[in-house]
Amino acid sequence: MLEYGDVIGGSCLSMKVLIANRGEIAVRVIRACREMGLPTVAVYSDCDRAALHVRYADEAYPLGGNAPADSYLRIDKLVDAARRSGADAVHPGYGFLAENEAFARACADAGLVFVGPPAGAIERMGSKTAARQAALAAGVPVVPGTTEPLPPGATEAEIAAAADHVGYPIFVKAVAGGGGKGMRLVADPADLPSAVRAARSEAGSSFGDPAIYIERQLVRPRHIEIQLLADAAGTVVPFVERECSIQRRHQKVLEESPSVAVTPDTRRALAEAASAVARTVGYVNAGTIEFLMDADGRFYFLEMNTRLQVEHPITELVSGVDLVRWQLRIARGERLDLPAELALSPRGHAVECRIYAEDPDNGFLPSPGLLLGRRVPGGPGIRRDDGGATPGLEVPIYYDPLIAKLTAWGASRQEAIERLGRALGEYEVRGIKTSIPFFRWLFQNDDFRGGRFDTTFLDRELAARNGAPFVTVPAEAEHVALLAAAVHAFDRASAGSAAPGRGPAASAWKTAGRVEGLR
Amino acid sequence: MHFDIEVGDRVHRVSVERDGTRYRIEADGRVELVDVARVDRCTLSLVVLGERQASHEAALLERGEPGEVEVYLRAGVVRTRVRDARGRRGGAAAGPGGEGPQRVAAPMPGKIVKVLVAPGDEVRPRQGLVVVEAMKMENELRAARGGRVASVHVQEGALVEAGRLLVVIE
Repeated sequence: MLEYGDVIGGSCLSMKVLIANRGEIAVRVIRACREMGLPTVAVYSDCDRAALHVRYADEAYPLGGNAPADSYLRIDKLVDAARRSGADAVHPGYGFLAENEAFARACADAGLVFVGPPAGAIERMGSKTAARQAALAAGVPVVPGTTEPLPPGATEAEIAAAADHVGYPIFVKAVAGGGGKGMRLVADPADLPSAVRAARSEAGSSFGDPAIYIERQLVRPRHIEIQLLADAAGTVVPFVERECSIQRRHQKVLEESPSVAVTPDTRRALAEAASAVARTVGYVNAGTIEFLMDADGRFYFLEMNTRLQVEHPITELVSGVDLVRWQLRIARGERLDLPAELALSPRGHAVECRIYAEDPDNGFLPSPGLLLGRRVPGGPGIRRDDGGATPGLEVPIYYDPLIAKLTAWGASRQEAIERLGRALGEYEVRGIKTSIPFFRWLFQNDDFRGGRFDTTFLDRELAARNGAPFVTVPAEAEHVALLAAAVHAFDRASAGSAAPGRGPAASAWKTAGRVEGLR
Repeated sequence: MHFDIEVGDRVHRVSVERDGTRYRIEADGRVELVDVARVDRCTLSLVVLGERQASHEAALLERGEPGEVEVYLRAGVVRTRVRDARGRRGGAAAGPGGEGPQRVAAPMPGKIVKVLVAPGDEVRPRQGLVVVEAMKMENELRAARGGRVASVHVQEGALVEAGRLLVVIE
């Protein structure tokens, strides 16, 4: 197997990078490569032929297929594309194969630099139970639970006994899990068998490994995580914490940095704990250690994400460090030379919203389909990472429905929130439903604005709404719509056949000349 | 020119005249002068002339039945429909009320992972009927009201389009 030392040196300084991903993260990586003068190679599934990451890259190779298992998860096709293109390195992005040790090994075997940690570290931290053991070895407390996975043949009685021993309420979690998938909360022992079945089935279909373990649910914890960078020489630089407690059904929807709940002392302790875990597993490149923190500021290791995360922009904004560029620099053998104070002194405050193609007024069900038009926000402090969900293109049904990340920086938390709230007001997506109206509601919530929340907050607030619609149009707006419709009807009638095209297909092209105003 | 324009569940009789960029619009017994600038082929800037000079941006999309126009405003989307000269419109939509059989349709395209009920089953309100996988998430579709399953129209493993009928409950 190729070791990291093998690729250190001048030979890789100008490397050609294949991005084994799609969407906003593929675009993000291509941008960093272009800034560094590195040639880029995109790969694409059938439905992504016209996607932004394909148009934006220097070269693009088809993978065929649409479903992830036929396209972005095909290690053989990705390695083949790297060979054909003469790429030296592979950036996995997040999701898909980013935390797949077999992919990291296949890249190494093919003589490709994997822009991420060594396969051994992925493998160890990819198993939640092995990761918990690594944290304990580093002297970092873990959330109470089983140390080993439940045996595949365990009887209901044995599983019930294990759960009783841990103490309810519990989470049944996929050993290979992540991102809230393959995870079930059980408060009533009677629900345990069905939760175990569901978690095993989801773990099997999502991660190819049905193994599960049990973890106690802490009382109203916050989700706090530490981004870090590590180089091949063993230098570890941890960053200011990210607060990711705003979750819907265990999925992060909004993140901010720093956390209002973390004191300078706790910040130092978190940074030290995260660095210790990373050193224990010989970690290299970008990674994140996730913790749960209780109301008294005590924190527990939850898991490690051995990749770049969706929410990395907020860390970039408060640290001034470009994490993707550093990923590439570390991968080509450079040493970290970042000042350690970065970890403990945030510059201002950053907040990110994950804008999904989903309908908040229909149980947040995915809302794929043809995007007809949009108006994108801009202005002071606003950063938009957008995968190119552009008018005239379908948001495909096959992949994660994230269409953009909207991030604001401000000198203070209040300023960042006010800027993001303003930007959400400017943001308009036509043709498909998005979570933008949900965020507009959230930004009016006093407890959110005041920083008073934990990981159970959002689900409780949503339940308390009792189905009240997120999208409510005031009577005055209906009147304005009537005026606009009247003008439109008049113009159409006066113009006769010269009127703009009718029907959805014509409208899609008609609106392709989009309003990208308000910059 | 006269139009009947539906907004929400109301029909407004509207009269429109134009002088250059100014439109005189009479609706609901109110007369307003509106200055209109076309920003692009689907976007209008409206300034309602008067003491307050209220400024609005509206993007209009023609979708669905002829005459249907979605108006996108800062406050949200408003669905409107311009009736044709004879005042006809498309078929009236069934209300969401509590009468009649429940026809449960796929809310999005996806794959049927599980069918949890069979014809003849009694179901309680909010009981799961079908699990649809879309965008890598499994979504359970539930009964809005209790009843008896009259028919099931899909099989596990099937790929369905949005709007495809899945289950009927009496």
